[in-house]
Amino acid sequence: MSSVIEEEETERVRELGHEEYDPIGTAILVGIYFLILVALWIFMYFVEFLGNGPTVVGVLLTVVGLA
Amino acid sequence: MNIHTYEKTWLAVTLVLIVGFIATITYGAVGPGIAMIDDDGGTIDPDTINDDERFGDPGVTHVGGNEYNVSVVAQAWSYTPSEITVPANSTVNFHVTSRDVTHSFTVVGTNVNTMVIPGQVSQMTVEFDEPGEYGILCNEYCGAQHHTMEGKLNVVPQDEFDLTEIDTEAPDEAQLGNETTINATVSNDMNYDLETTATLEIGDQTVEQDVTVPGHGSETVTFEVDTAELGTGDYDWTVTVDGHEDGDTLTVTNATEGGDTDA
Repeated sequence: MSSVIEEEETERVRELGHEEYDPIGTAILVGIYFLILVALWIFMYFVEFLGNGPTVVGVLLTVVGLA
Repeated sequence: MNIHTYEKTWLAVTLVLIVGFIATITYGAVGPGIAMIDDDGGTIDPDTINDDERFGDPGVTHVGGNEYNVSVVAQAWSYTPSEITVPANSTVNFHVTSRDVTHSFTVVGTNVNTMVIPGQVSQMTVEFDEPGEYGILCNEYCGAQHHTMEGKLNVVPQDEFDLTEIDTEAPDEAQLGNETTINATVSNDMNYDLETTATLEIGDQTVEQDVTVPGHGSETVTFEVDTAELGTGDYDWTVTVDGHEDGDTLTVTNATEGGDTDA
């Protein structure tokens, strides 16, 4: 069993350079996830949270919890 | 160290994301002035709530200008007062405390939401720009009737708002020929004097009296009623001050007929 794996590992078809490795499909997918994340954040904060007034307001010191 | 281009890009955009999160929170704090509710309200002994200046007589008081204080006592399973009315375009400071267990004070559908912990005063400032009606709910499980614990918050147009209350005191019965008095106590919770007219309507008579009620005070208006002018019978009466009304019925009896001794 182990010899089979060893054989497969050593069976090298082509060696890629560091920058030659180019998983563009994965990159696009991650990019789409990222855009969804940004859109959801904007929607959650600016539309759902800030748009849901009235809201609790105060001076800046109480906002950051210094006072 | 050799880092792949995609990996460098990923590091850069995640950094931008974190900076973006912090920037939006900072904008919320500086721009709209959103605040967190903290321990600024201080502490209070839950057993002596009734002796407290704010919570002994909870409700809406006028601080000055467009600023109002609202104190609320939460207890299983109600809020006192259960209905709060404030004007639009106002800044309202809420002080909420609990008499027994942990409750919450949640204005439904808004970001006004705080825990109400016995021994603590939850203090928050809210600006109401538009008139509207909101429900108040408890969202901390507080016992068997938790689901019935509710209140109401009315934001009314400024010209419909006042803090005037009227309470009357008068005998139910008077003998013909005697003078009787109807007392109306007008209270004013604004921080300025209220100059107005109290009107008594009884039978066909209308009596008006000017009254000046001091800010955060009350004044009693006394109406003298001459029963001889009314004659015997039942008379519904009302005292009206600034659209607030209170009344009862006065029965005028014959001197000879009246009283239990006649029977």
